[in-house]
Amino acid sequence: MSDQKQNLPQLYRFCFLMLGDSRKAQEVFNTTLREAAVRAAQGELPREPFWLFREARWRCLEASKTDLQPESLEIEEHDIAPQAALQIKQLEPAQLAIWISAAPDPQRTALALFYLDEFNYLEILDIAELKLSALSRCLLQGRRQLQAWLDAKHSGAPEV
Amino acid sequence: MRAAVSREDSSDEFVNQQNFDRAVAELIRLVPIPPESAEWFLDKEAIRAPRWTWRKIVLNPAVLAISIALVVIAGVFAFHLLDRLNDFPGSATARKLLTVAGSTRPVMLDPVSAEAGTLSDLFFMKHGLEHYDVPDEFADFQTIGCRVFDDDESQRIAQIWVAEKRMQFFLFPAERDGKTGAVLAFPGWRYVHQEGWVGAVAEHNGVCFMAVLQGREKDLGPYLSGPKQ
Repeated sequence: MSDQKQNLPQLYRFCFLMLGDSRKAQEVFNTTLREAAVRAAQGELPREPFWLFREARWRCLEASKTDLQPESLEIEEHDIAPQAALQIKQLEPAQLAIWISAAPDPQRTALALFYLDEFNYLEILDIAELKLSALSRCLLQGRRQLQAWLDAKHSGAPEV
Repeated sequence: MRAAVSREDSSDEFVNQQNFDRAVAELIRLVPIPPESAEWFLDKEAIRAPRWTWRKIVLNPAVLAISIALVVIAGVFAFHLLDRLNDFPGSATARKLLTVAGSTRPVMLDPVSAEAGTLSDLFFMKHGLEHYDVPDEFADFQTIGCRVFDDDESQRIAQIWVAEKRMQFFLFPAERDGKTGAVLAFPGWRYVHQEGWVGAVAEHNGVCFMAVLQGREKDLGPYLSGPKQ
């Protein structure tokens, strides 16, 4: 596997976005790599690319199975605002991770992989096992819901 | 299509979306990596597939098993090829008679004490076998016994046992062409081997003569004259 596809810092960030909790992300990250090291020693590493991300994804989904699940509510959606970039800059990375990790899968995987800025669309489709239309829908909805959350957050916050 | 893409590229909505995506990606790049996890970055080799070396490839059980199987197949093939290369008309019968030689006991033959060359007349007079002649190389050998029998293809076979090195002689009809009936002749002496027995075969007048003994070619070689193959 090439170094590019084995970007370990990005793998950790992916786990963090999927779980929204650094302790859990670390646990999944370490377990995934420990397992990979054992398989490497036995010469049984999978040949396909991105398998580390695929493994980590399943572990994250497994780890969050026992967590509190989001209620199936109609989430508000807003058009992307011109000031959205500024609103995002005021966020902490952990806040964004918690928001992404609270999304149902496959939207959660799609948003995490897309905003990692590590993969192209075809690679995301491969790792997330999604069709292009589904990925497009997840991203579109995700953006609009995130905008709505940002709007709510900033309208509720005291003006500085 | 290009116009549509160009129009979309410059729309406010699309620019907002691009800025939005860029901002989210930048924020994610700020996610700190805990020092415990960062230790893995130093040990990247641990999760890299080991490089294949020739030694590893050769010692791989699957490769090893396939190689051994191929060597065995090649060996069997070569053995059969060499066997075929040494074949001559009548070699199948000659091999069968080597087996007969191995299982023959002296009591199975009629006792005859004479020079082997003189038995041609006996075979002709008593059994009607023409040209069942012992070649000059073996004509002077003293016989112990002889017999005439039919093999499993109803061919008349003459068997002579001589005192010299407990050698046996066989005389049998030469192989013939299935269509024309012509004798498939071959020049000189040809060797056949079977389970520790060796035979030297020559064809003359439509009859094959085979001298047989338990041993190797070099034991028979000194008795033969003319080309040997």
